[in-house]
Amino acid sequence: MALKVPESVLKKQATQAKIAEQAKQASYEARQKKRQDKKDAIAAAEKYSAEYKATEDAAIANRRQAKAQGGFYVPSMPKLALIIRIRGTIGVSPKAKKIMQLFRLRQIHNATFVKLNESTIRMLRLIEPYVTYGYPSRSTVEKLIYKRGFGKLNKQRIPIADNSVIEEGVGSVGIKCCADLIHEIYTVGPNFKEANNFLWPFKLTSPRGGFSNKTKLVHFLEGGEAGNRGEEINKLVKRMI
Amino acid sequence: MSGNQRLLRRETGPLLRIAETMAARPLVSIFSLTGEKSGETTLPEVMSAPIRTDIVQFVHINMNKNHRQAYAVNIHAGKQVSAESWGTGRAVARIPRVGGGGTSRSGQGAFGNMCRGGRMFAPTKTWRKWHRKINVTQKRYAVASALAASAVPALVMARGHKIDEVPEIPLVLDNSLESAKKTSAAKDILAAIGAIDDVNKAAESKKIRAGKGKARNRRYTLRRGPLVIYKTNDGVEQAFRNLPGVELCCVDRLNLLQLAPGGHMGRFCIWSQAALDALNEIYGKNGKAIPEDIMANADLARLINSDEIQSVLNPAKRANKKFLRKKNPLTSIKALAKLDPYAAAARESEQRAEAARKDQRAAILKKRRETAKSKKQYRAQGLAFYEKVSKQGDVCANGFTIA
Repeated sequence: MALKVPESVLKKQATQAKIAEQAKQASYEARQKKRQDKKDAIAAAEKYSAEYKATEDAAIANRRQAKAQGGFYVPSMPKLALIIRIRGTIGVSPKAKKIMQLFRLRQIHNATFVKLNESTIRMLRLIEPYVTYGYPSRSTVEKLIYKRGFGKLNKQRIPIADNSVIEEGVGSVGIKCCADLIHEIYTVGPNFKEANNFLWPFKLTSPRGGFSNKTKLVHFLEGGEAGNRGEEINKLVKRMI
Repeated sequence: MSGNQRLLRRETGPLLRIAETMAARPLVSIFSLTGEKSGETTLPEVMSAPIRTDIVQFVHINMNKNHRQAYAVNIHAGKQVSAESWGTGRAVARIPRVGGGGTSRSGQGAFGNMCRGGRMFAPTKTWRKWHRKINVTQKRYAVASALAASAVPALVMARGHKIDEVPEIPLVLDNSLESAKKTSAAKDILAAIGAIDDVNKAAESKKIRAGKGKARNRRYTLRRGPLVIYKTNDGVEQAFRNLPGVELCCVDRLNLLQLAPGGHMGRFCIWSQAALDALNEIYGKNGKAIPEDIMANADLARLINSDEIQSVLNPAKRANKKFLRKKNPLTSIKALAKLDPYAAAARESEQRAEAARKDQRAAILKKRRETAKSKKQYRAQGLAFYEKVSKQGDVCANGFTIA
């Protein structure tokens, strides 16, 4: 007499088989997606490197032309700034406190990118004694995002260990890989706001070799560290990253 | 058995009790007084009431208080003294002291609870609330639960009754049980149906009580044996009442304190057929209400795995993706490859080129050393020329050639 298999066992086998099938399909699709993403990432990176080279070459060409004609080449005002907070939280005036909150610089040695326009420049003026800022180079932007890059996913600070983090956070806007993100930040593209807001404020260390001998508190031009220091910010970031 | 009945009920449809047929309920054998099966009847509905230990416990605790006798101290105890405090200034405590003299009692403290011969703190009163009122529905629920538990052999055994030899639970004997007259006959009946073990257990357990109760007219303690339930007393009471541990009860007056002694359900009950059938009248549509189950089907595993529920569930959630420790893409090419395969490929090829250059370095050095060597050979020549030239005195004819 053959034993009948209990119906519950049969049902369970059927559902498990279905789940296995779905899982197989899902993993196949995931692998395809991964392959495609890699191709896209490489294509994008190539495009961007060509773009960067083109802009550099254009700048060089302009300078040479100006020199040749005896005139001047005035490059456009910088669009991107990197702000680093260099003073602590105690005893900050309320207006400055609020502005630093708006820039997401709530802690000492926090750094964020900011788009430079009329309003942000005025805001920076008000917080000059508490921060230092400047115009980061592309390699600085890259280094910051690679080493200290964390994304805001679901209000959580998730390390950018994989492009999936970026895609989940900011993919809806067309930024799918790290190269896209760096490009958007550096060239201050149309979705700069989303890209920058996705990036959690960078938490840098104190600079190796220390701040200036004189005193941190005065303006950079006076031998201190505060305020706008233009291209010099790259050197500082190198010591703080 | 009650579990079975619930399953069966489910299969007959949603309108449970009304649509039920007799055949749908389990049958209970009826035994003759000599122990042979002599008939069958259906299990009464009460026997499948929900078994609620919490309600039985609650009702039992409170019901148990109802046969208490009041106790209290004498209202005058400690107060029949005309004591007054001596006040301050006499180097004694201010407690009221017995006046007068000529006896050791004079000057002793009185009235206080701390004093010898004084009244106690909070003298106990007879008007303490001794009895407890319990809602009738709750009492009925408890009895129904206890009856249901008495039909489950596991619970009866768990309560401690010796029912290994008993042929069936619930144990039903035919109506001639009710007209048993002699205790010897009663003993034989119990032996025939295997209930004697429980009675023997009770008999052997008779011991002098531990504690003061032994001096307060509660000298012996005894285990509880079977409970014989009858419909009409035609001599049963007198036949069975002297057997140790055996208790008797009429169906019309079922007592929770007997059905669940100590608040523990599962008393071993011996029914007469009339008594068991009477349960159908007492509990039912026209009689006392039988409590309803909260869940008709309590088999959670089966419910969860049923088609009805599974078909409307959301798909199972996957565990959140864990982000493994972040590696620095500036130092690790593997980490960089995840983020920017183009840059990683570039860095990798650069590294390979560097490695290749390193290998070639040996060849380059060799070449350099050879050229150095070959240059060195001219050094000797040069030195020789210089020597010659330094020795020479005048400038030669054409200024260059040495003779």
